[in-house]
Amino acid sequence: MRKFLIFLCLAICWVVFLSAVVEMPPFGDPANITNRHVVPRYLEEGVEEGGASNIVTGIILNYRGYDTMGEVTVIFTALAGVLAVLKREDVKTSTTMVATSPVGPSLIVTTVVKLLIPFIVLFAVYTILHGDVSPGGGFQGGAVFGASMIHYTLIFGLLTYMRKIRLAVKVPLESAAILSFAIAGFIGLFFGQKFLTFLMPALSHEAQYLLRHAMLLLIEVGIGVATGIIFGSIFASLEKVERI
Amino acid sequence: MIVQKLGANFNYVIATLLFCIGLFTVITKPNLIKKFMGLNIMEASVFLFIVSVGAVREGSAPIVVKGMEKGVQFVNPLPQALILTGIVVAVSTTALALALMIKLYEQCGTLDADELKGMEE
Repeated sequence: MRKFLIFLCLAICWVVFLSAVVEMPPFGDPANITNRHVVPRYLEEGVEEGGASNIVTGIILNYRGYDTMGEVTVIFTALAGVLAVLKREDVKTSTTMVATSPVGPSLIVTTVVKLLIPFIVLFAVYTILHGDVSPGGGFQGGAVFGASMIHYTLIFGLLTYMRKIRLAVKVPLESAAILSFAIAGFIGLFFGQKFLTFLMPALSHEAQYLLRHAMLLLIEVGIGVATGIIFGSIFASLEKVERI
Repeated sequence: MIVQKLGANFNYVIATLLFCIGLFTVITKPNLIKKFMGLNIMEASVFLFIVSVGAVREGSAPIVVKGMEKGVQFVNPLPQALILTGIVVAVSTTALALALMIKLYEQCGTLDADELKGMEE
């Protein structure tokens, strides 16, 4: 009865939504208001000002660089929150269901995963490095990289993962995204411009172009590495079981 | 007439439907993980909605290649950039919520919202 009432309320809500949808501008029309405001400028000047052929990358890292810096901080804070609640995995006290299970992973599964992991990581590297000329970028490549680590941990257990990716390597890399943003931001200050600007009028045209590309690449790699490692860390601390 | 307009805005119709499904899940399911999955469905609906706002019929991906002729119709890149941000934040909140749920399960032995209500003391 209660469920039915809720269903009824939401159905009414949906009808209200639909009445709004009828009034919306038609889907996919180039003349829509959303496609006319700032977007033409992004599309015309984006390659020159943003420094990337992929305009989405230009917008994320250049026009809305502060936003992305905040977002990187959000992932980092999420990791900090997860670790504050669950603690980091530890070789002495943690184990996983995989390690304690009486049935080991089958030969087929382990072989396939071992064969597959290098290609997944290769694809992640490609996605990160090609973010400015093709679809992709730091977050997408980082997610693929993190997925490869999660994939590996699921089959081989947490202990093998901890042996492969040590804490001394992992902990500094988790802050790579914020650090790369800070470094790229201070380049602007160094040339007497604002923080995180990509326009340096003091330099020649070619030097600016090169510097912009270098900054984009630095930020992309930083974001990619940090996102992947953070996803792996979050998964490891969710996955671990305290040894009794 | 109305049906025609709804058909033209099919993506928005589906986005609103997904939103309602997600809200229904959040309200009716007692299990906290299921509640959070409902919240994720709601997030997905919002992402679908905002990306659809930026879609352009027959538009190509917003990647400018050298030697491309002028006047190519591109898809709106701004919503895509915003949603990329949104997806990552959604992942972060999901991770934090799952961590809290694991702790809650360790402490209380249940994830059922109705049972947890009686455990407040």
